[in-house]
Amino acid sequence: MSLWAAQVWLGMAITVIGIGMHRTGPAFRRHPFGIPVALLGLAVMLFRVEKPPHPESEVVAATMDAAMWLLPALAGSALVLMGAPLYWRTRLLPLLVGWALIVVAWYQYYSVMSVALSDALRGVSTLLGVTLALAVFALCVRTAERMTPQEPETEPLSEKEKKYVESVLRRHLEVSDEP
Amino acid sequence: MNPNLELAISAFAGSAALTSLFVILTLIGTLNPYHRPAIPILGASFVIFASTYLFAHIVGIPANSIALRLTMSEGVLALLDIIPIAFLLCTFMFLQASLRKRPEDPLLALLESEPGSE
Repeated sequence: MSLWAAQVWLGMAITVIGIGMHRTGPAFRRHPFGIPVALLGLAVMLFRVEKPPHPESEVVAATMDAAMWLLPALAGSALVLMGAPLYWRTRLLPLLVGWALIVVAWYQYYSVMSVALSDALRGVSTLLGVTLALAVFALCVRTAERMTPQEPETEPLSEKEKKYVESVLRRHLEVSDEP
Repeated sequence: MNPNLELAISAFAGSAALTSLFVILTLIGTLNPYHRPAIPILGASFVIFASTYLFAHIVGIPANSIALRLTMSEGVLALLDIIPIAFLLCTFMFLQASLRKRPEDPLLALLESEPGSE
């Protein structure tokens, strides 16, 4: 495998690892290195000195073509999620800009798309392939969990721990510790 | 073999192999002391090698590293082809989310009515 071919796969691997890192942690505080690592991976994958050999050249070309509509689609989706009344009131500006970007993404996609009957068969096969891989993964996770030895039953709280939990609850309910 | 069927099997093998590669990479990216990734990684590796073997058999090439690269490339192209379907579903969900009215929350109303709240 040539250096440029390896660079494409290395970049893709770093991108996926970065996205995986970003998904860890609570929703309000994601992993700080997730997005930088993913962007580094994209840079490694797409910026190179020489054209990568076959078949990686087709992968890079297809990714660049898809980026023309995927980038506005991703940005628009993020803005719509920020502006839609999911957790709080509607924020009109992000919502409208997000929808404008989604419309642009669909326009870009329709301007380059070409649908053939064989694409449907290929699409169904792709979905089956993804489903098979995820099913094997789920089965393996279940097997790993079943093989994990059971933890012994937890001891009840000691008096000291009970007092600590009680004081935490009281603090959060804004009740004074003093009777 | 029918060229359409060959394309479909290639897409199947490619997408299965690439999804399994993504599973392994995500397990690496989310590694923590409570993980037990050995069996899922073995399972995903098995899918990758089986898909590569199937792809090489269909195309008529030896099942080596070139076949692995071709399988993964086929997977990328196949997944890029079905992303618009996922985006179409997402667009409908965004439309629902944008047009819905949030139900009144009595607790939030209480919070807003307090002096000094936003």
